[in-house]
Amino acid sequence: MTKIFDALPGLEVPVGSIAKSLAGMWEDTAAKGGPAPAADDVKATQVNFVLHLGFNTTVEDAVRQFETAVLFSKRAPCRVVVLCPLPIDDPSVEMQAKIYGECHLGKTKGDTRCCEFVLLSYPFAARQYLESQLSVCLITDLPLYYWVHRFASIHRLNDYQHLLRRSERILIDTAIADPEIFNFKWPRPEAVHDLVYARLLPVRQSIGQLLSGYEPAVLIEGLRAVTLTHAQKLSAEARVLMAWTRERFAASGALANVAYTTKPDRDDGALKLDFEYANGHFFQWHGDTVKKNAIIAVDFGGGRSELHIAVSLLTRDAALSDATFF
Amino acid sequence: MPDAQRHPFLQGLSKHRGAPPTVVVIFGASGDLTARKLIPAVFNLGYDNLLPADFSIVGFGRKPISDDEFRKIATGAIKEFSRRELNNDVWDHIAANTSYVAGGYDEPAAFERLAKHIAAIETKIGREVQTLFYISTPPSVFAPILLNLGSSGLAARYLGRRNQSKVIIEKPFGRDLASARSLNATIRSVLEEHQVYRIDHYLGKETVQDLLVQRFANAIFEPLWNRNFIDSVQITVAEEVGVGTRGGYYEQSGALRDMIQNHTMQLVALTAMEPPVSLDPESMRDEKVKVLKAIQPLRVGPGGDVCRAQYADGMMGGKQVKGYLAEEGINPQSATETYAAMRLAINNWRWQGVPFYIRSGKRLARRVSEIAIQFKRPPGTLFAESDKFNLAANTLAFQIQPDEGLSMVLNGKVPGLETRMQPVKMSFRYSTTFGSNTPEAYERLVLDAMIGDGTLFIRGDEAETSWALYTPVLEAWAAAGRNGMGSYASGSWGPECADALLADGKHTWRQP
Repeated sequence: MTKIFDALPGLEVPVGSIAKSLAGMWEDTAAKGGPAPAADDVKATQVNFVLHLGFNTTVEDAVRQFETAVLFSKRAPCRVVVLCPLPIDDPSVEMQAKIYGECHLGKTKGDTRCCEFVLLSYPFAARQYLESQLSVCLITDLPLYYWVHRFASIHRLNDYQHLLRRSERILIDTAIADPEIFNFKWPRPEAVHDLVYARLLPVRQSIGQLLSGYEPAVLIEGLRAVTLTHAQKLSAEARVLMAWTRERFAASGALANVAYTTKPDRDDGALKLDFEYANGHFFQWHGDTVKKNAIIAVDFGGGRSELHIAVSLLTRDAALSDATFF
Repeated sequence: MPDAQRHPFLQGLSKHRGAPPTVVVIFGASGDLTARKLIPAVFNLGYDNLLPADFSIVGFGRKPISDDEFRKIATGAIKEFSRRELNNDVWDHIAANTSYVAGGYDEPAAFERLAKHIAAIETKIGREVQTLFYISTPPSVFAPILLNLGSSGLAARYLGRRNQSKVIIEKPFGRDLASARSLNATIRSVLEEHQVYRIDHYLGKETVQDLLVQRFANAIFEPLWNRNFIDSVQITVAEEVGVGTRGGYYEQSGALRDMIQNHTMQLVALTAMEPPVSLDPESMRDEKVKVLKAIQPLRVGPGGDVCRAQYADGMMGGKQVKGYLAEEGINPQSATETYAAMRLAINNWRWQGVPFYIRSGKRLARRVSEIAIQFKRPPGTLFAESDKFNLAANTLAFQIQPDEGLSMVLNGKVPGLETRMQPVKMSFRYSTTFGSNTPEAYERLVLDAMIGDGTLFIRGDEAETSWALYTPVLEAWAAAGRNGMGSYASGSWGPECADALLADGKHTWRQP
């Protein structure tokens, strides 16, 4: 994990002077002739955002997630704190900190905003002090969001109850999470949001918009089977999309005897949803997440119609934004 | 509508992600507003994946241009005016479903062609589509368009259902009370009120919507939001620009019609209204109408409640500029005001005795729109020595444009051994908190109309109530001609008659 801390960008500073170093970061850059705008004009903070890199995170993955956090901060200006726990239990290893700033330049002065990042590396033993150390890295009174990434064991999260209780939302990606995540006792289950569900927003939207053109009674009349075919790599998306479809049909009043089946497909980007009806009606949403398009074919009694749409799963930062705020 | 009452397949999605299949028909398709605002708004909605999959644009106008030409014009408009760069992946999809119908606004056969065109789109889609008519034309053709929408059957498509036809109408909603009533009568002859979306783009601005959030979502403000604690309210909608090439239009309009009667009165209504019982459109609009009706008739003439003036020669940004009467297309004897200021008295329990000063003008010192709430001064027993204590009235200012945000003026101690004080400013800026790439007002409003949410639109009685207040003023000014017309130097903050409006209350205009 020290490799992760070393691989991420930033200027190493004493842990005791993070706040002072952050304040000085902009002044120093300007004093050295760097292109630093006046901090008060452009420093932007909407929320606190903690990215917690679990022990299963590789260096490459950490850099990738850090970049995602940077892109997220462009959408939603925030103070980002990256937690890099070390898989060692040696109290003699000291906590380390880095600070980093990035400005997003837009078309106008008003589009320019700068966000601050704090990176903390700490041995496993220091986690008991983390709450206090973290508190001085966050902006007081602003909401906190907590992104939990690649935990070796979800039960380690018990050590971070202060974050689980305090965060407005806890973001997880069930596609890569420890399977035990579904059994974990979250202190506030309603705060937990799945990035897989967020990535599927355009799919849910296009299906929802189209089906909302028909009365729920029409959608459930004669419904026999719902089949979801998916690329191997989209098994988490398929699981979540099927759960959503099932829930929506239940809300529409569908009977319990409908067969819901999920099956893999060799096609690399396939995500296909088929509704089969006893009365000859049908609905097909056949998406290709690689080619970023879908064909919708439908007949609910008015004859077959077909629609070609552009659709893709949300990008990493867009999914993060959606799961955070919506 | 509560989420649980929505269609089961829309539940859990933002209401703005549930627009039904839609054809947007733009009347005035080759006009300036279409290029500057509407087409970029549609493009940005597409970029944000907020348009329905079955979405089409139909331009309608007198100019005989082809579908391809219209698409080229639209593409050029995005390149020039969109807040985002043109993205072909997004635009190509919309452009493929963009077409144009040429015809006269008073030509019934043209509307029959339009109806067939829409029916053909619907057949191609294979499902019902809603039509959203955007009337972006000069007001002289509002009535023929509306009547032809009625006679062609387009206005009544799917009436009473989710996909019913909807009509967005651009201002002006009349030029006085009689014409506003006449326009509303025409509208009602072919449409039901819930199909009509009178647009005032100010209501689509984030800061204007934030005004309601600040008032009703913060416990610290509402208890103070009344005559017991508020001394006065100032609303400013100031422009730096002169009439430019729009002299011909402006001569028929003037500051009162162009800005005060619509934008500024919306700001008054949102500032002064009672809390609505809910956020549904009718509750909101009911409260706005109630407070507008409580505004007392305005007295015109010396010592009255109104002031008008024209900009004279002056200096803008260090350069000499000419006065209104020397502008191109302006009658040298023009009696059209480029500046208007009013002192409003709201006769209700909350606001009695609190003056609302409003002003709008061209060629003022700075482009700024703001609402400033000035609170009463604290009793001066502790800090009465004015030479030691520079005690300011607390002021809460909502800046609507530019640099959207709000600021609060408080009194603070100057560091040092002596107790000295001075006003200090606490600021919140949208751009430094949320970033500034927020949707344009038109994006929000077009999408709201598409999903049938009229909260941020003006109801017919709202427009009429505002005109009822100002029509006597307009009539008095028309009768007086140039008598009583003030003047102010370009680049200043306005005429002396405006200062006089505030002098009675020992107030002065802010210079925001």
